[in-house]
Amino acid sequence: MSTLHVVSHSPFTDSRLDSCLRVCGSDDAILLCGDGAYGLRHPALLTKGVKVFVLAEDSLARNLPLPDWADCVDYPGFVQLSIDYDKVNTWL
Amino acid sequence: MKFAIALFSAAHAPSSRRALLFAQAALAGGHEIVRLFFYQDGVYSASNTIVAPQDEQDIARQWREFVSAHQLDAVVCIAAALRRGVLDSEEAARYQRSAVNLEAPWELSGLGQLHDATQAADRLICFGGP
Repeated sequence: MSTLHVVSHSPFTDSRLDSCLRVCGSDDAILLCGDGAYGLRHPALLTKGVKVFVLAEDSLARNLPLPDWADCVDYPGFVQLSIDYDKVNTWL
Repeated sequence: MKFAIALFSAAHAPSSRRALLFAQAALAGGHEIVRLFFYQDGVYSASNTIVAPQDEQDIARQWREFVSAHQLDAVVCIAAALRRGVLDSEEAARYQRSAVNLEAPWELSGLGQLHDATQAADRLICFGGP
């Protein structure tokens, strides 16, 4: 069963992203939004090799270039991701 | 696809706006929202005494208009609301409080409504934090 992990906290201010990566399965993906978009600059995501999405408006607002290992989505894309994956787990 | 959406943050948090935009996109995509559940600080979104600064988006008002326009089932957790001073007329009378700041389209009810919504929905999506 695949899970979409939604992370909105910056990985540079707490350990949610690290905790998320520890439980992330091979079929899972991570959606970065809000300050979580700073995860694009975090080495942990690059080395883990998990599928990564970022909410377009949040990476744009923070002027974060999109690395080749991540894809950006708008809100309709967010809705579609929540359908494509069996569960959505938000790291509140 | 049927969605249940739970919001844990106040209207001034960016995550509240994200929840609203997600909900709008879900309906625009032809999906159904079986229930919106406002929990913890999310109950502030339902308060009608919120005054947003003029140069900021009034997300509480946008929530109210969105819920009304689509006649959605918008439940506010009663325990979370009472402890934060978000009261409808019935609760204000019950606890002898002078202010009423929750009215239609919002409805105070229990956490069981969130459980019920997750049973009825294909997906539960939670929004909270920053």
